[in-house]
Amino acid sequence: MSAASRWDAIVIGADVNGLVAAHLLARAGRRVLVVDSRKAPEQRVDVGWVPPQVLRDLGIRAPAFYLQADQRDPWITAPLPGGGKLELWRDLGQSTEAIRKLSPADAAKWPEFCTRMRRLAGVLEALYVQPAPDVETREIGELLRMAGLGLHVRRLGKQTVIDLLRILPMSIAELLDDWFENDTLKGVLGAAGVWHLRQGPRAGGTAFNFLHHHVGSPAGVFRPPRSNITQVLTAMPGVEVRWGGSAEAVVLATAGRVTGVRSGSEELVAPLVVSSADPQTTFAPLKPQLDAEFVRAVGNIKSRSIVARGTAQLERPADFKTLCLAPSLDHLERAHDDAKYGRTSARPYVEAVATDGRLDLHVQYAVTIDQTLIASVAAALGVAASQVSLEPQSGHHYHGELTLDQILFMRPVPGWSRYRTPIHGLYLCGPGTHPGGGIAGAAGRNAARVILKDN
Amino acid sequence: MTLRQTPFHARTAALSEGQAWRRWAGYVVASAYELSHEREYHAIRSAAALFDVSPLYKYLITGRDAARLLDRVVTRDVGKAKVGQVLYTPWCDPEGKVIDDGTISVLADGRYRMTAADPNLRWLHLNAAGLDVAIEEVSEQTAALSLQGPNARAILQVAAQRDLAALKYFHLTEAKIRGIPVTISRTGYTGDLGYEIWVDAAQALPLWDALIETGTPHGITPAGMLALDVARIEAGLLLIEVDYFSSKHALIEAQKSSPFELGLGWTVALGKESFNGKPALVREKERGPAWQFTGLAVDWESLERLYAEVGLPPRLPTQAWRTSVPVYKGGRQVGYATSGGWSPLLKQYIALAHLEGTFGTAGTAVEMEITVEHHRKRAAARVTKLPFFNPDRKRA
Amino acid sequence: MPSTYDAIVIGGGHNGLVTAAYLARAGKKVLVLEKRPRVGGAAVTEEIFPGFKFTMFSYVVSLLRPEIIRDLDLPRHGLHILPLESTVTPMENGDYLAAWGDHDETRRELYRHSPRDAEAYDEYGKLMHHMAHAVRPILGMVPPDPTSFDPRDLMALLRLGKHFRGLGAERLHALVKLMTMSSADFLDEWFETDVLKATKSASGIIGTFLGPRSPGTAYVLLHHYMGELDGVFRAWGFAKGGTGAVSEAIASAARGFGAEIRCDATVARVLVKGGRATGVALENGDEIAAKVVVSGLDPRRTFLELVEERELPGEFISDIKRFKFRGSSGKVNLALDALPSFTCMPGVGRQHRGAFSISPSLEYVERAYDDAKYGEFSRRPYMDIVFPSMIDPGMAPPGKHVMSVFVQYAPYHLNGGWNDAKREAFGDAVVNTIESFAPGLKSHILHRQVITPADIERITGLTEGNIFQGELALHQLFFMRPAAGWAKFRTPVRAYYQCGAGTHPGGGIMGASGRLAALAILGDGA
Repeated sequence: MSAASRWDAIVIGADVNGLVAAHLLARAGRRVLVVDSRKAPEQRVDVGWVPPQVLRDLGIRAPAFYLQADQRDPWITAPLPGGGKLELWRDLGQSTEAIRKLSPADAAKWPEFCTRMRRLAGVLEALYVQPAPDVETREIGELLRMAGLGLHVRRLGKQTVIDLLRILPMSIAELLDDWFENDTLKGVLGAAGVWHLRQGPRAGGTAFNFLHHHVGSPAGVFRPPRSNITQVLTAMPGVEVRWGGSAEAVVLATAGRVTGVRSGSEELVAPLVVSSADPQTTFAPLKPQLDAEFVRAVGNIKSRSIVARGTAQLERPADFKTLCLAPSLDHLERAHDDAKYGRTSARPYVEAVATDGRLDLHVQYAVTIDQTLIASVAAALGVAASQVSLEPQSGHHYHGELTLDQILFMRPVPGWSRYRTPIHGLYLCGPGTHPGGGIAGAAGRNAARVILKDN
Repeated sequence: MTLRQTPFHARTAALSEGQAWRRWAGYVVASAYELSHEREYHAIRSAAALFDVSPLYKYLITGRDAARLLDRVVTRDVGKAKVGQVLYTPWCDPEGKVIDDGTISVLADGRYRMTAADPNLRWLHLNAAGLDVAIEEVSEQTAALSLQGPNARAILQVAAQRDLAALKYFHLTEAKIRGIPVTISRTGYTGDLGYEIWVDAAQALPLWDALIETGTPHGITPAGMLALDVARIEAGLLLIEVDYFSSKHALIEAQKSSPFELGLGWTVALGKESFNGKPALVREKERGPAWQFTGLAVDWESLERLYAEVGLPPRLPTQAWRTSVPVYKGGRQVGYATSGGWSPLLKQYIALAHLEGTFGTAGTAVEMEITVEHHRKRAAARVTKLPFFNPDRKRA
Repeated sequence: MPSTYDAIVIGGGHNGLVTAAYLARAGKKVLVLEKRPRVGGAAVTEEIFPGFKFTMFSYVVSLLRPEIIRDLDLPRHGLHILPLESTVTPMENGDYLAAWGDHDETRRELYRHSPRDAEAYDEYGKLMHHMAHAVRPILGMVPPDPTSFDPRDLMALLRLGKHFRGLGAERLHALVKLMTMSSADFLDEWFETDVLKATKSASGIIGTFLGPRSPGTAYVLLHHYMGELDGVFRAWGFAKGGTGAVSEAIASAARGFGAEIRCDATVARVLVKGGRATGVALENGDEIAAKVVVSGLDPRRTFLELVEERELPGEFISDIKRFKFRGSSGKVNLALDALPSFTCMPGVGRQHRGAFSISPSLEYVERAYDDAKYGEFSRRPYMDIVFPSMIDPGMAPPGKHVMSVFVQYAPYHLNGGWNDAKREAFGDAVVNTIESFAPGLKSHILHRQVITPADIERITGLTEGNIFQGELALHQLFFMRPAAGWAKFRTPVRAYYQCGAGTHPGGGIMGASGRLAALAILGDGA
């Protein structure tokens, strides 16, 4: 048994955050092993903004060269109650015209709405490429950084400050009702406010969630960008990636210090372990070594999975790029009502992205995935139930809902928002940490920087 | 009823002459049976006093990881304790401040009974995350009596029809008293020869009757909390909510205490791999505790002089007090006493006190505040090592 | 009668009365104009049926600021608050959950439902006590303007920041959770007993258009720990004579300092000249001059009815128009010839000296909210019931009783609108629901008064019947209340101030808004 281990760091999870962290550590000269329990890399599109800082730090010359971004136009299509459809475009003028046919009043407000929301999303972008502000710190450097952020926001104008303070805690329903009257338009926008949340559009905090999903997209485009960043990272040399292994990798630690990872039956030794897996799974085997209150806080992380993902096969090519079936805010609210009482929505919200001759599906709110749900999804899409397949649920996609009490310095548990954990040498870097899910690689990058500073 | 009655209430209520009751952990218990507690106190030191201590919180901890759970929670080394042993121990929060104190009885391999002054079920469960252990609260199902005094062994030997000379201090044994299965532990809260008897609540009254019957020729005396209070001060034993506050109830940092600050450093097994509060306690041990918990013996002459100044003989508190009394040295307050009173046995005015830093060294001369005829005065006192009273028979 | 008053206060609600009292105490000549025959607004006691005094709208007190009680010497003016010692929640299976005045007894009762919850309750209580302590200074503070560069605002913001950081990590995190979570989610982290969580959550939804699972309701859990009776944080108390007696005591104090109070005097508008308030015009045409005018009415009335739009900046008008009211509370007051016996605790006993909470489960309260969300009143509503005559025998003839039932939810914007038939149907839903927990209640009802949000608006003037003069949602609190930049009791019209609950710190019979407004007026050198 040699004293020196083969690797300086083991990363659990070859997802975008795990790979970003791994590559950044490797570029700093560390020997990194990435383990992933899946049999092989998935051919899945990444949904989420890839911060330019991530690309820069990894030397990926974006976007044209390696990274493919999906710039679909129109970015959303929604059927109208009387027939016909609403299409919203990357060009603000084109969208304004489309909206004008439904409501001249809404069309008049659209440009300003888009400008204001973009500005707020910009504030979030600034927040997301750094670790969460440490509100308890005494370090001058950190205090200055936070003051700088405050000043930056203030310089965006009084209206932006007020918007920030006012809109962040609001419900998306109230925000949209303040601006618009057309139900279909509000349904399309409101849907982004409830993604991956077990809340309806009338719940506080959904306006924040809406803005979170606007991050990285241009003004007037209220769905996150799509790219192939994970594929690019998987193909990049510099780290060893091991696929397969019978189950989730288990963190090994003794007396509060990490010793390595068990993958399958093999024990892999390393002084640093970075986990992109969800915090509850990561800490499960370590409970006896963790403070009782910390274990309790981890157990309290709200990660109620209510999204069903899957695919639908079409007979004919789709006549849309992305279809949103959320005819109104009330439709979303009623769909949530069902979930509130532990039932799958009788009339779910379905969003379908046309990709390579099939539809990728996002369905809310799915408490159990059964034939009834498949039937309602198929009915909503106008296809046969046999054409729809939904994956079994495998935990919350973001490893923790993006509710107002589970973001920034409260994520994943209050006081532990800087990727460190009570176990020496164990770090977290997945969507369960700041800035949360749907921001590709930001957590991985932030975590890598903290790790390199600590070690 | 606002408060519960213990399993012995039918007997204790019948004995109460003065209807002097008080609350203890949601139960009603006797402060004293007679109109004065004096005779009950003297019975502790001269014959045998019988106390109803059922309100203690009791937990049965069993399973493969039972010792592991307890070792995680408390400061003493439970893993090293043998079957039949009883450990007195405090337990701490992650910052090394005392939450509560109690005993752990090693009933069998992987089977422990823990007592506590405050409810701790939730705390035990929180600490059991990931461990293979069962925690059962048996507070209501288990009744308990405490028999303390020089005649205690003799009485129990007759009652249990067994020789108990071999039962060592802080050890336990199973026995039968008139056919009633009991656990007898050589423990107590008086610093004297004494035993605690643990029984199923359903058998409480027959047990009481058996003890009274066998004990009467030996001077057994039911006694209440007032008598116990004096004895425990003589023994230098802490009382939660009086001599220290649970860190769970403390509103500010200053209200919390570490085991070192309470004179319980001997219970802290820093050699254990890990337990709640260990890192903080290691650091504290290195720099030394900020406070010391010691005894104070008030100087009789000084006391007499203060009263003589107003033409009175000294007023001696025969009932122990539980208020906070400042302690001075050189004109500056250096601590405070939290329990005190007149010890009829030792013929001394004694107190338990917290003193800053090195002022707690035995022999140090200090002054304790005393109110004499509405005026605040200071009586000379000397820091005394605890316990004040430590008879050989306690361990013999 | 002086020709020009130093200040005119529009509205004789408790905040307006507090403002008047403080101004009069400082030597100002103050006139209060109240449209109804009596002062109090929604804190009134009226003898609706001969011999039976109903504390018509509000019914319990505990948040009345101790400094106001002291400064105005209210006990000398008749204020006497009696403790409400218990809350009993009947459960649908015939059992109950009770919270008593004695800590040991409450602990034992909780233990019966869950041993771990009994212990968690103490820890929870300790945390909430600390949180209430941390939040209390904010109740008495003028919100700084976060968008201004004025050094006073920056200093105030810094002090606020320092206060929060001084709480320590554990409490700061708890505060963030309390401000952002739903009461159900917050309580889920502590307790497992559903009926306990339901009863506690219910206090979080009072007066709101939210359910126990709606984010932003955990904050109101704190109110339970911010109540101060005799220097001790306690839940609720009942004012002898009903909440009307509170208003009368404040009015008496104001008069004692020389303030004049005129009832049956409806103000039609505020007179504004050159951007400055100069007095008011009554409905009957009379004009009264004053150096300063203070409105105790809610923001919509204060800004959109009492003054003309051209006097106010456009952005401000939009903000006020956007300020949400959406009343959701109703009240049913009953005159009884005997007390009802609840199935879970038969007979008449000490439980009738406390409150009954109809909140048997979280799902029950959430479903009550669902009804309201889509424009109906709750078929099985949440209710907070007290028997004022049990605490204060003077409220009813000897041997008879009054029963005060506060109800959620009754949406102001009812599908099809409120009318007499709907009001009676609502009253029936309330009484039938209580009857299911206390059979025989109906047979004891001598008289019934049902108050809907439309009635609240009609009688008291509270817009959309919202009892807090505007929803207590996170984005409508503190420096946002009632609008960003206008949260300091001043208005865009000079010499025109606002002092009602539509300002910080919001509703509940606190009097804090009234006092802070008075101090602002005095500070401005009125």
